[in-house]
Amino acid sequence: MLSSTFRRVRTELLPILADLRFAIALLLAIALFSISGTVIEQEQSAAFYQANYPEAPALFGFLTWKVILAIGLDHVYKTWWFLSLMILFGSSLATCTFTRQFPALKAARTWKFYDRPRQFEKLALSAMVPTSATAASLAPLAQALAQKRFKVFQSDNALYARKGLAGRIGPIVVHASMILILLGAIWGTFTGFMAQELVPSGDTFRVQNIVQAGSWARPQIPKDWSMRVNRFWIDYTSTGDIDQFYSDLSVLDNQGQEIDRKTIHVNQPLKHQGVTVYQTDWAIAAVKVRVNNSPIFRLPMARLQVEGGRLWGTWVPIKPDLSAGVSLVARDMQGTVVVYDTTGKLIGSLRTGMSLSVEGIELSLIEVIGSTGLQIKADPGIPFVYAGFGLLMLSVMISYISHSQVWALLEDETLYIGGRTNRGQILFERELVEVVNQLQQEELNVAAAPLVTAEAGDLT
Amino acid sequence: MDLVALQSILDNTSFAVLFVTMLLYWGGAAFPRLPYLNSLSTAGMAIANLCIAGLLGARWLEAGYFPLSNMYESLFFLTWGLTTFHFFAERVGQSRLVGVVTAPVAMGITAFATLTLPPEMQNSAPLVPALKSNWLMMHVSVMMLSYSALMVGSLLAIAFLVVTWGQDIELKGSSVGTGGFRAQLKRTTLQESAPSQFSASEGGTAVLSPPQSATRTLSLQRLTLAESLDNLSYRVLGLGFPLLTIGIISGAVWANEAWGAPWSWDPKETWALIVWLVFAAYLHARITRGWQGRRPAFLATAGFFVVWICYLGVNLLGKGLHSYGWFF
Repeated sequence: MLSSTFRRVRTELLPILADLRFAIALLLAIALFSISGTVIEQEQSAAFYQANYPEAPALFGFLTWKVILAIGLDHVYKTWWFLSLMILFGSSLATCTFTRQFPALKAARTWKFYDRPRQFEKLALSAMVPTSATAASLAPLAQALAQKRFKVFQSDNALYARKGLAGRIGPIVVHASMILILLGAIWGTFTGFMAQELVPSGDTFRVQNIVQAGSWARPQIPKDWSMRVNRFWIDYTSTGDIDQFYSDLSVLDNQGQEIDRKTIHVNQPLKHQGVTVYQTDWAIAAVKVRVNNSPIFRLPMARLQVEGGRLWGTWVPIKPDLSAGVSLVARDMQGTVVVYDTTGKLIGSLRTGMSLSVEGIELSLIEVIGSTGLQIKADPGIPFVYAGFGLLMLSVMISYISHSQVWALLEDETLYIGGRTNRGQILFERELVEVVNQLQQEELNVAAAPLVTAEAGDLT
Repeated sequence: MDLVALQSILDNTSFAVLFVTMLLYWGGAAFPRLPYLNSLSTAGMAIANLCIAGLLGARWLEAGYFPLSNMYESLFFLTWGLTTFHFFAERVGQSRLVGVVTAPVAMGITAFATLTLPPEMQNSAPLVPALKSNWLMMHVSVMMLSYSALMVGSLLAIAFLVVTWGQDIELKGSSVGTGGFRAQLKRTTLQESAPSQFSASEGGTAVLSPPQSATRTLSLQRLTLAESLDNLSYRVLGLGFPLLTIGIISGAVWANEAWGAPWSWDPKETWALIVWLVFAAYLHARITRGWQGRRPAFLATAGFFVVWICYLGVNLLGKGLHSYGWFF
């Protein structure tokens, strides 16, 4: 039973997987489905699709929100059919390596001398050079080929030369490294996790808000250390655009002792015990204000729902019974907030360290406190993916090399020479033409030497 | 020296030079016997290449970072790449046809960049925080070079399709299958139909004079015009594909180092993957038995448009980190 299944796999499934036309169809199918994910908006709410892809009139006559949600066009790259395509792609790569590439490499390595003139006839680039019996030798040819960096093998009357065998090995490594990348990615999705935290400047936090984690990700999530945001700040350019975000972070052990510290920014994360902390986002957490001569209040700021901008706002009570207050709105962390009075009228802007009279009180702005948006991640698949990347870059360059072979045979005062290459036809042709011309010229010189006076006219 | 004035001189000059060069290449193809046209057109391409290099260099000096931050600069970098790979193809193929297809495209891109792009999009702009990294230079320049190589290669495939239109083709220039072997009958018909002035090497010194006797003789069968175009396109695409692979990988490594996600299916990276898949299909079609000739060339032609969608089309969506300028 088992062996018959195995045989069926070998005789029916493998030939399909190894078929180049199947591989091409697979490549183009993945391309086509990937396009769908760039045309249809991904990861939106059901309401979004209902609004944009109504049932009547259906887009192209069929593309309604029901169709999109049913076949998963709202998350193409995570659907079972897209992942199956990728797995099929990986199997096709592996099969092709064993059933095609290894035999092709073996065939390229095991060469033979051509010992009959007939064998040269099938080669497009083949020629006959008549040689005089006295000068019949393969040595000039061997020398000419060696000069062109061929590796030359020679017997009494036959010659084989090759170069660029690496060009046959390159594609094998390309396939192997792509399999390594796919496996690394799969390993990473099972063992990795990703979390996001929005932490006000000065707070200490543990990794809790886990957005995504694989089935075996538990050991990766940090339990014996926490992290403190010593300070978060933004540098602005002279025109008011954001130049860079910075977070000064400390890693703390369970006793609260600092064991690591680094200031991170975009493109410069912190790494600790296989976990990486990236700077990805920011928000305004709170403002510190004083009303007349009161103690300093720290008031949280909330994100306001507005179109086309990021705004945060808070409310400052100006009466002890909280019956009235003014509003503060901030747009960025350059230290300025805008103040509105109890009726919602704009009073003016207030800078850090300054004060403003509003509704008969003196309001002082002490500080605008930001929160840093951090992405915390561990991905044990990355070393495999990176190894695959390195191998892939190297091997895809090696695959440019053309594998060239030249055969020659000396028989009946004739030198038969022929060759072929698998990629760079044009340059190989030029090389072989040069070699043949050179041999022909030498032959003419040898033959002409005693006859120069008599037959010079015929030879030119 | 006034770098801004120099830039406006250089970009207009490169457009004008490329326009003249295009006419010279076309003239050279139409009247192959006219003297000087060949060297003039190659010189024109070289001048354009140097002008653009000067333009980009001036902007680099002015802005203080690698000039690939907006649409204008990237269009000029693309043209610089196109002219560079043009020289590679012209040198390897020793064919005047290369310029006939590359010069108009290079001219078109510079025309668009100098004449159509609004002035505020031509000025260099400060980089957003995410792009402040040495990876920018590596990733973006390799991607742009790969686009230019892939464009030159697929333009040659289009030229191959035009030249062989309506003909029966049998090619030698493929990796396996019939590659490198004689196909006597069909070859003779092709040799007759191909105009001799375009053949891979002029002079034909390699054809050996046959001996007097009636026995079988062998002489080197040279590549025809169609075959050399096909192989030239393959070799240039063969350069573009590794560049694209390295470009995508450097982007993935950068994204992982900066944000902790090597791949996030952002439209631009998805389209770069689509380009990669299309040309991977092309490379495999070339080694498929019985598919040599037109089918891979059709794939490469499709690839030409896919590269353009990836390069410009995706920016129309104006989403994500890759939206370096849009114009509608």
